[in-house]
Parts: sequence; structure tokens; C-alpha cells
Amino acid sequence: MARVVVHGTFLVSVLITSFAALGRLPVTIMRPTGAMKFLPWSFYDQLVTPRGMTLLKVAMVVSLLLSTTGLFTFFSSKTSFLLVLFYQGLVRSFGHFNHDEMLGVYCLAVLAFTPCADEFSLDQRLRKKRSDRPAFAYAYPILLMQLLMAWTYFSSVLIKLRTAGLSYFSADNLPSLAIYHSLDNLHDTSFRLAFWLPQVRAYLPFAVGLVLLWEFIFPLAVFFPKVRWWILGAGIAFHLSTLFFMNIFFPHQLALYLLFVNWDKLRAQSVTHEHMTNTVTFVDEGRG
Amino acid sequence: MTRLHVKYAVLTLAIFLPLLWAFLSVRNVYPFAAWNVMMASGALERGRSYWMLRGETVSGESVDIRPLELTNALYSRTWTMVNATVANQSFKLANLHPANAELLRQAGGIEQLPPGARLPDLLHAWGDLYNERQPASSPQRLKAIRLDMYRWEGGSYANYDKFIQSWREEL
Repeated sequence: MARVVVHGTFLVSVLITSFAALGRLPVTIMRPTGAMKFLPWSFYDQLVTPRGMTLLKVAMVVSLLLSTTGLFTFFSSKTSFLLVLFYQGLVRSFGHFNHDEMLGVYCLAVLAFTPCADEFSLDQRLRKKRSDRPAFAYAYPILLMQLLMAWTYFSSVLIKLRTAGLSYFSADNLPSLAIYHSLDNLHDTSFRLAFWLPQVRAYLPFAVGLVLLWEFIFPLAVFFPKVRWWILGAGIAFHLSTLFFMNIFFPHQLALYLLFVNWDKLRAQSVTHEHMTNTVTFVDEGRG
Repeated sequence: MTRLHVKYAVLTLAIFLPLLWAFLSVRNVYPFAAWNVMMASGALERGRSYWMLRGETVSGESVDIRPLELTNALYSRTWTMVNATVANQSFKLANLHPANAELLRQAGGIEQLPPGARLPDLLHAWGDLYNERQPASSPQRLKAIRLDMYRWEGGSYANYDKFIQSWREEL
């Protein structure tokens, strides 16, 4: 199911994105980032055209469709990882290093090199034979992906405190950042709640402190199921607040919260419930 | 230790070691990310520039244009792309695009280049995308597109919109 969550998130994201429009932008404003610098300009000249980008989209949709449904997964999980890795590098070469999709890219890497189609996949249905791998083979990749998510928040709070120190708790920190991100029309949304923040600036250091505390304790969500849903619930509230106050949203990261759902337990509960319902119906019919 | 344990250990190290390096050096080197989102605290005293994309329709109206609706692949990135284009960042690379290298040679150096040397190309692309979505006879079609630059000088929660300059492109 983790495969469906991760690959499905990117599939939806690619389907609703206009690649042809991206291909209309001038290549001359690009600033290839990191590993993208190894590709020659002639390659980008050929690719960043409406036709080139449409071909890339078709390849990504086909690959992600196969990997999401779990068909030819040994190959499709790897092609999906490589195509998404490349595409995310391409869009980062136009703008800044946005972090929203990066966790998803690492999860694709984990799934590309671990067994992820022995259940809930077309491959498994076609094979009609159950795998005899130990439970560890499936549990560890999920743990690894959850640890990666915990790392995104935990390392973030340490970097903030390391670079900004106590000035991060300044009363003007949040309002000035939020207002800056609400002034233009180049952000994805135009919420104006940020302009209300100066009125409550005295309370904002406490709000910032709570957010940093939440980021710091996020790893507990991996190891303690009892607190998991409180921490994830706070995460949903946090990402929604950055949308309404800062016009910044992390939809991919939020979708990957589904990696914390214990799908096996959920399915077992659903099967038990179905079984009990059928038994009651049978008994009732027998009595009738 | 089984082969599976070794494989998973290698996978874990292959992912986490570069992430640890990115974290320690606070550097984003694609595909390795340091989660430095909003790491600098916002100082009220610091002035900030920002931009508004607008169009001039054939009927004479001025309309706000949201770039996200034109190039949604760049969600969450448009403002930094415009920021970098105005600052001619694509002319400051170690390996320049041949067309940029030629423009730089003609200008006689990066200092001689006007701000936003490649903005006309970007504005034209956005203007064309906008017009293609309008019927041929629509009064909402654009005759020109422009990027208006403003500045919030900082120091107080007021005076957010000091006009600085505009880049205009006829379509």
C-alpha cells in the first residue's frame, strides 16, 4: 500500500500539471542545480519545448501508472524513481530548492530497491503465488520512509536554531516572513491573514516555540503509535496554517502522512468486521 | 546477518549519509536536501522587494495575472524564478547557456547587463500562454504584459507598496 501512496501521489501530481506550458519557458533563465549541471545545454534546448515536455509527461504517466498499480514493478518502480528524480531536478533548475516533493523522491528510491509489489498489486494477482519473504523485508522499508519524514522535521528545527539562534523567537519573525509571502501575486494563493499577525505579535514567539517543539518531537510518531495521531494532526494543522498565513503549501509531504497508517491492521479489522456482519446475517436468516 | 540485512543497511546509508552531509553543511545539492526552509528569522528592519504580474487587455483594462495558472509546473517556485531572472542569476553560472554567453559578450560584462535581461522572453512566454486561452475575439486578450516591482522598506507594518520599476512587453 505504501507503493500506491507514494507513486500515486506523484501520478496525480503529474496528471494535473501542464508540461507543455513549462516547455514554453525560455531555457536561458534556467540555472541547473546539483546533479542537473552534468547535462549539456543542448539537451535542455531539445527537452524544454512543448513537444519535448509532453513526451516526458507521457513517459512519466505510463511509468507511474504501472508502478502505482504494481505491474512490472521490478522495472516500473525504478523508471518512475528515475523519471521523477529528473523532473524534480528540472523544475528546481527554474526556481528554488523547494522541499515539498523531496521526501517523496527519497521514498521512491526506497521503494525502487525493496520488495513493494507482493501484495495489493497486479503483479501479485498475475503470479498467483504468495511470496515467502520474512515480514522484516516489508516492515523495514516502511520504517525507513517514516524515519525520512521524521528527519525532514527534526533536522529542520536544528538548522533553524543553529543558523538563527534565539532571534528565531523574535516577535517580528513570523509576521514579517508571512507578510513578505503575501505581498505579490506570484505565490500559488493570495491569502491575506498575514496582515492580521502584527496585532497579536506578542503571542507569536510562543506559537513559533510550539512549532519548533512539534518538529523536534516528530520522531516520536515513528516509535510511539499512541502519540502518532496527535503529532500527525498537529502536522496537518501546521501545513494548513502555512498555506493560510504564508501562501506556502506542502501537499506532497502532507499526502505522505498516509505512510503512517497501518494498512495491514486496517485491512484485518475490515475483514473481521465483514466476517462478523456476514455471520450475523447468516444467523438472522437461519432464525428467520 | 542475511543478504537482506546487508542490502537494507546499504540502502539506508546510501540515503542518509548524503542527507547528513547536506544537514551539517546546510547546503542543498540536488538531489540531496538540507531542510533549511525558513531558516533565517524574518527581521522587520530588512526591506524586501516583490513583484506583481499584470496584463493590459485590448479593451484597455489592467488585469492581475497569476503565473500559477499559466505554468502550474512551477508551483511554489514562481516568485524565486522571477527573483533570479531579475537578478540575472542565469548569467552568473560557471557553465553559461551559449545564448547567454553571447549576450554577455555583447553587453561587455555582467555589470553592463540591465536588470532582468531575460525578462522579456519570460514575459512573452507568459503573455502568449495567456492569450492562447482566450477566444480570438475576446476583449480580455492582452496587448501587453508587464512585471511591476515594488518594495516594502521594512521598519514598520505599513507602506508595503513603494513602486520601483516595471518591465513591459508588447505582445
